[in-house]
Amino acid sequence: MRTLQKLGRMPIALTVPAFAILLVAFGVPVIQLLLTSLNAPAFSVVNYHAFFERPANVRVLFQTIEISVVATAICLVIGYPTAYLIVAASKRLRTVLLVLVFIPYLTSLLARTYAWIVILGDRGLINNLLLDLGLISTSVPIIYSGVALYIGMVHIMLPIMILPLISVMLGIDNSLIAAARSMGARPLAAFWRVFLPLTLPGIRSGVLLVFVICLGFYITPQALGGLRDALLSTVIAAQVQSALNLESIAASAFILLGIAAVVLSIFGLDISGKQGLAAQPTRGSRPSRLPCLGKLAQHIKELFAPYRSKRWIAELYQPANDGGWWQIVGAAFVTVVMFFLLFPGLVVMIMSFGAGTALEFPPSGLSLQWYRSFFSNPSWSGTAWTSIQIGVAVAILSTFVGTLAAYGLSNTVPRLRGLLTMVILTPITFPAIVVGVATYLGLVKLGLIGTKTGLILAHSIGSIAFVVVIVSATLANFDRRLEQAAQSMTAGPLQTFMKVTLPLIRPGVIGGALFAFIHSFDEVVLSSLVGGAVRTLPLRMWESMRNELDPTIAAVASLLMLLPVLWLVALYVTWWRSRSTAKQAPPNT
Amino acid sequence: MKVHAGRFLPPIEEIALEKSPVPPQIEFCSVTKMYGTVAAVKELSLSVSRGEFLTILGPSGSGKTTALMLLAGFAAPSEGDILIAGKSVAAVPSYRRDQGIVFQSYALFPHLTVRRNLEFPLEMRGMKAAGRAAKVDRMLERVHLSELGGRMPSQLSGGQQQRVALARALIADPPILLLDEPLGALDRNLREQMQGEIKSLHKEFGKTTICVTHDQEEALTLSDRIVVMRDGRIEQIDTPEALYDRPATSFVATFLGEANILENPGFKIETDVAQPSGTVVMIRPECICIAAQTAPKGAQAGQRQSVTGMVEDMIYAGPLRKYHVRVESSVLIVREHVPSGQQIFEPGDEVQLDWLRSDIRLVPA
Ligand SMILES: Nc1ncnc2c1ncn2[C@@H]1O[C@H](COP(=O)(O)OP(=O)(O)OP(=O)(O)O)[C@@H](O)[C@H]1O
Ligand SMILES: [Mg+2]
Repeated sequence: MRTLQKLGRMPIALTVPAFAILLVAFGVPVIQLLLTSLNAPAFSVVNYHAFFERPANVRVLFQTIEISVVATAICLVIGYPTAYLIVAASKRLRTVLLVLVFIPYLTSLLARTYAWIVILGDRGLINNLLLDLGLISTSVPIIYSGVALYIGMVHIMLPIMILPLISVMLGIDNSLIAAARSMGARPLAAFWRVFLPLTLPGIRSGVLLVFVICLGFYITPQALGGLRDALLSTVIAAQVQSALNLESIAASAFILLGIAAVVLSIFGLDISGKQGLAAQPTRGSRPSRLPCLGKLAQHIKELFAPYRSKRWIAELYQPANDGGWWQIVGAAFVTVVMFFLLFPGLVVMIMSFGAGTALEFPPSGLSLQWYRSFFSNPSWSGTAWTSIQIGVAVAILSTFVGTLAAYGLSNTVPRLRGLLTMVILTPITFPAIVVGVATYLGLVKLGLIGTKTGLILAHSIGSIAFVVVIVSATLANFDRRLEQAAQSMTAGPLQTFMKVTLPLIRPGVIGGALFAFIHSFDEVVLSSLVGGAVRTLPLRMWESMRNELDPTIAAVASLLMLLPVLWLVALYVTWWRSRSTAKQAPPNT
Repeated sequence: MKVHAGRFLPPIEEIALEKSPVPPQIEFCSVTKMYGTVAAVKELSLSVSRGEFLTILGPSGSGKTTALMLLAGFAAPSEGDILIAGKSVAAVPSYRRDQGIVFQSYALFPHLTVRRNLEFPLEMRGMKAAGRAAKVDRMLERVHLSELGGRMPSQLSGGQQQRVALARALIADPPILLLDEPLGALDRNLREQMQGEIKSLHKEFGKTTICVTHDQEEALTLSDRIVVMRDGRIEQIDTPEALYDRPATSFVATFLGEANILENPGFKIETDVAQPSGTVVMIRPECICIAAQTAPKGAQAGQRQSVTGMVEDMIYAGPLRKYHVRVESSVLIVREHVPSGQQIFEPGDEVQLDWLRSDIRLVPA
């Protein structure tokens, strides 16, 4: 009896390490922050009052909401047709386009932001071009205008919108569209009445994700936006750095979080009801409104799998007879979007091989001088080494802790699982700046500000969330009967996990580790707040982008843009291998 | 003595197909569909007359779904043409072909209630709301689902979903009904029940129906005619009786029911006509009688052949008993009804097998 009870409680125990890290570095400080903002122990709303009393604050608040709404809307308007066209493309083209969306998604945020500075700057590509053509006589200010801000934000956010949309669209049973057509629905009617309603869950998760990230956005707006485009997150960061009073920081942070919470609860309240569930029959867990990375991974795996059952539609999406006209428009649209996503990176890569003393496009000569400068200058290569060390440590820690937590969660009752998963995912669903402020407080308490350990801890809370998402998705597709089978052959729980479960969910674990590393390697908001004397590569780039015009950064950015290719190859290899094992399994699911 | 209704009838010479002046409802004219270098359907020629229930039967990958998709307009033939009511539909998109389709997975719209699912085809044809409601009510009643109109498809059982799918395919009164493995997802009892339902709907509405299946029992019970496909080609088209009784190839013989195919039996098989080269001998297991010793042959003596064999295996299958009997170098399968009052044999028993010479079929190998 005792042992039975023990076993029953075991799954929860596996989540303890994850929650311990989360609580120490983030959970407790967030609560403290809340209490501070409420003026505990006296409890009053004076701090919020003070916030709203200053017109400048209110203006920034509304501006933040406005910019986030507009950027999200632009992303949806561009992203939805793009996702549709990608899904409708032939299998091979679809894979190529997916890779082209994934590359910017996996590319360093700073590198992509830097590319836009190079293109839109006062002495950037566009201004130079216009000057050379004689269209203008002095450079026009694009970069610190609202336009540049939106261009940059949409560029960063677009993949985040497109990927969940694609994930949901791929999950739609094509025979539904065939059915609509057979009942006399023209292509447009079939789209409007059947396809669109079924993609609402994807629209919802895309919109939520983009909106919430926009709310806490900090780097790109600061780099590309003008003074008048200040966002609340920028203001909070400035307050933290100038060590203003904690009360007002706390109030600002919770106002930002409050907006995110309101939006999440409005949209998160399943507007599509059960339909959402029916449209994406995720086994076991309810479809998370959070990053659908894991699910997408499953679909990508399917891309490489042979046809079946979905065959009814194989040719359905292509508008059958209604002319090549639409196809041309569609192809042109996708081409423009892909150009927008990839062109900035290419410009930087080309420029990084320039021979001049400053960056030019096109370069007047070719050289490797900036790459040499990167590897020989310890202020660059040293920070890169630090980042790699921290990234690897984060990946190891969070993969271990996160996999345990995901496995534990998958064995608990659904309601508890849902709640705990939500909690574990807060570090990637809260606006980044709020996470940053809370973690800063937490690390101050622990005396870890300005230490590598501190940074590893800070990065890990977000990375664990990624690992949990991806491994959970893999576990949801994992056939539990295999474990029972192993146990019937007298394998203990540990043996079962090591010999059966882990090998089968390995692709998810590796994917999780990869994302954990990327998250840490690219992280700059947290690092800038808690890093202190520890210099990571993103911090060095951020500094370089703001202060100096050292073209070495072009070489760094180019190298960072090559990394996603490496990641994709790694993901491809793990998924490809898992596919060949999956193929031997009976095709009953 | 066993009695097999129909099996003792003299072989039907020719199935009299009505050669009416009206064109067939559906006609495939030498249709080929290539996927890359693979031909999913090869030179398929087939015509289906008005009101007929035709079943396409074949193993997995034989091109059944592809044939249906071509007809429904979801894929275009690489070669050949498809005529509906005498007119080519090459340029007619799927949404103007006016066909009711039941998909294997039913394809009920998960975001619409049962009622809205049924209304959908009417709405697409531009019917007013009032007329739609009346029609939906009538149809719901017809399929015994009147109380469930407000439910979502996910709240229905498999059989109920199946009925909604059928109702939805029929409600707009299309002249043609296409069924892609309609009962594949149901369990055995429900399947039999739904077979009856489909049959009665077919009688009532008289739609020209094409049904794809790989369940031979379903094909035999439902169809006016059956098309047996293999590797994208038609092996045989015929009525269920003719197909079972006189298979054109040994593939059809073994695919439809059980068959003893004797290529080198090791003993002489008496046939009415000389066995042409390139053919093999086929006899159905239920046409063979099994007994302890040679039974008196009575009036049919001259028409029967008997051989001696040894029981190798006995399989009990509910109302049936199946024996594997070794005769010289071949093993014959024999099927017997249990309550026939006959002796039960054990492996090792020596037995006499005998059959009517007219039950022997010679089929191309
Ligand atoms: N879209 C497609 N692309 C490539 N090959 C296809 C496609 N659709 C069908 N095929 C191939 O065509 C052949 C016939 O397929 P089809 O789906 O018509 O078989 P089926 O008789 O319906 O089989 P099942 O009983 O398994 O449903 C198969 O070899 C299949 O692999
Ligand atoms: Mg099929």
